[in-house]
Amino acid sequence: MATVDIHRLVKRYGAEEVIHGIDLAIRDGEFISLIGASGCGKSTLLRMIAGLEDISGGTISIDGREVNGVAPKNRDIAMVFQNYALYPHLSVADNMGFSLKLRDVPKPEISRAVKEAADLLGLTPYLDRMPKALSGGQRQRVAMGRAIVRKPRVFLFDEPLSNLDAKLRVQMRAEIKALQRRLGTTSIYVTHDQIEAMTMSDRIVILNGGRVEQVGAPLDLYDRPANLFVATFIGSPAMNLIDATTRRDGEQLFAETDEGVRMPLENHAVAEGTAVTIGVRPEHLALADVATPGALRIAIDLIEPTGHESHVFGRLGRHPLIVTHSGRVAETTSAGVIVAPGGVHVFDRSSGRRIDAPAASEGSEKR
Amino acid sequence: MRTPLSTLPGRIGTATAVILLVAWSLGPIYWSLVTSLTPPLHLLGTPSLWPQQISFEHYAKLFGATSMSQGNAVQSVWPQFSAALTNSLITSGLATIVTVAIAAFGAYAFVRLEFPGRDLLFVAVVATLAIPAYTVMIPLYRLMISLKLIDTYTGITLIYVSAFLPLALWLMRSVYQAMPISLEEAAWLDGAGRVYTLVYIVLPLSAPGLIASAILTFLNAWGQFMVPLVFSPTLATKPLTVLIPEFVTRNYIDFGLMNAAGILAIIPPVLLVLFLNRYLVSGLMAGATK
Repeated sequence: MATVDIHRLVKRYGAEEVIHGIDLAIRDGEFISLIGASGCGKSTLLRMIAGLEDISGGTISIDGREVNGVAPKNRDIAMVFQNYALYPHLSVADNMGFSLKLRDVPKPEISRAVKEAADLLGLTPYLDRMPKALSGGQRQRVAMGRAIVRKPRVFLFDEPLSNLDAKLRVQMRAEIKALQRRLGTTSIYVTHDQIEAMTMSDRIVILNGGRVEQVGAPLDLYDRPANLFVATFIGSPAMNLIDATTRRDGEQLFAETDEGVRMPLENHAVAEGTAVTIGVRPEHLALADVATPGALRIAIDLIEPTGHESHVFGRLGRHPLIVTHSGRVAETTSAGVIVAPGGVHVFDRSSGRRIDAPAASEGSEKR
Repeated sequence: MRTPLSTLPGRIGTATAVILLVAWSLGPIYWSLVTSLTPPLHLLGTPSLWPQQISFEHYAKLFGATSMSQGNAVQSVWPQFSAALTNSLITSGLATIVTVAIAAFGAYAFVRLEFPGRDLLFVAVVATLAIPAYTVMIPLYRLMISLKLIDTYTGITLIYVSAFLPLALWLMRSVYQAMPISLEEAAWLDGAGRVYTLVYIVLPLSAPGLIASAILTFLNAWGQFMVPLVFSPTLATKPLTVLIPEFVTRNYIDFGLMNAAGILAIIPPVLLVLFLNRYLVSGLMAGATK
């Protein structure tokens, strides 16, 4: 169990800088996810924490002690690799006990620790098997077992579920989360799957191009994305974005598109005439009768039923708009749409930054 | 599915190719075997594919204390033959062990360690394969004389290692390059150092590559003629390849004896390959990843 402090961390490959001064404080026992598109630097960051990549600038400290020059084997960190990296010539028990054997732990103690971890992971019947005789999910568990058996200070996970099929992924997701809760070990989890990040993490770090876009609790990122990148990254289907300009009509502030479609803005601290991007999540839009007061009229191109809800692909004027409608939708070519209260996010169009309602902006965690 | 084997012309073509290949590679060995079993007098007659009369007298000359040669009892060649066989085994074995050991560690450095000029150095080492052995024979001879290594196992082994190491290095480098680095990283995070990881994780998984290197090196060393001809003048280190042609005497070429010795000389490498081939199985990496 440990804290991990990352201070102005930089990674360069030759002249090319891929991580640009990241600051991050990870609390003891926290489950934190690093998420971003491929090439955003999330795996590089993880490998720097592990000691598998050199640090070009800044520091990484574990429990307050700087580990920049410390070899991976002396960092007391365990890592679960994307491809599991099981030793194919060793049995499951030997795979799991490998790190303890290296530490000259007496044999009875090793087998006790291995058995304990195997019980926890449901691997007891497979201890004598070789990795090739295991299924994907079992191999994944062995990789986990190898990590937990020696009780490291920090767990690192590098997209551990991406090689599993969808059903197993959901199951392992819950197992990893429950295991981490039980062990209370600080965990850093790299993924490109926002659902994994949302469901497992205490906090999520969203990375983009080697920079941190936002750090926060999963629902904070969902409710209050700090910028357009986060807004479109979290949530599925992605948030609808519509360019507009703010207009005032008496007391009421509107966002008006270039086609004259108006959406009322509540409590947003934005000056009249500002070029903004309006963001509305598909699930915060509801289909309604066109005649409903305040309803926006959309043309419908396509309806995708998923069973418990339908994704309606439409257009508001020229702007594409996706509506998630709970329940089923009859084929139609046009409909009215109502925006849920508080469902409108406003972003400055030039900087991409969120413009907050004044009352809510205090205490928000940006960056 | 239609494969070339499923049509008649395809089958005939394949069969022809196989027969040609077998005749090409086994034909000389068969001829040698037939010759070694033919009585000396018949060797002077019309050659035939099958010996009219099988005789073990050539083998008796190799193994017996004395034997009959052209009607006279003569000393058998067993003392020379056994010494040369031992020399062949020792020099080839030593060369194989040393070469594979150096290649196992050296190639790893060429793949996983970063140092200036690494790739250039590797190319330079491999490029020595292109140098004909004859061009370095005289300087090498002078060198060996000054080092007092002529007619010693050390000298012969050193020469073999320098000759066969580049190929083994090359082979092992590609073996290591094909290995996922995450296995080594996992071992480092588990607390293993570089050497421990190499010996206990990487080498066991590289066994097929190591065995292939060993087979290549052993066969190369076993078949060497030029090097021992120059550097092994006496039976202290003289191998079979050099001894067998010496069965040619001033007034008699003992074809039967030479071929019998040749047949016996084939046996050790064949046994070695048969034995090691079992470990050359693919699929050792199965289960490591995914």
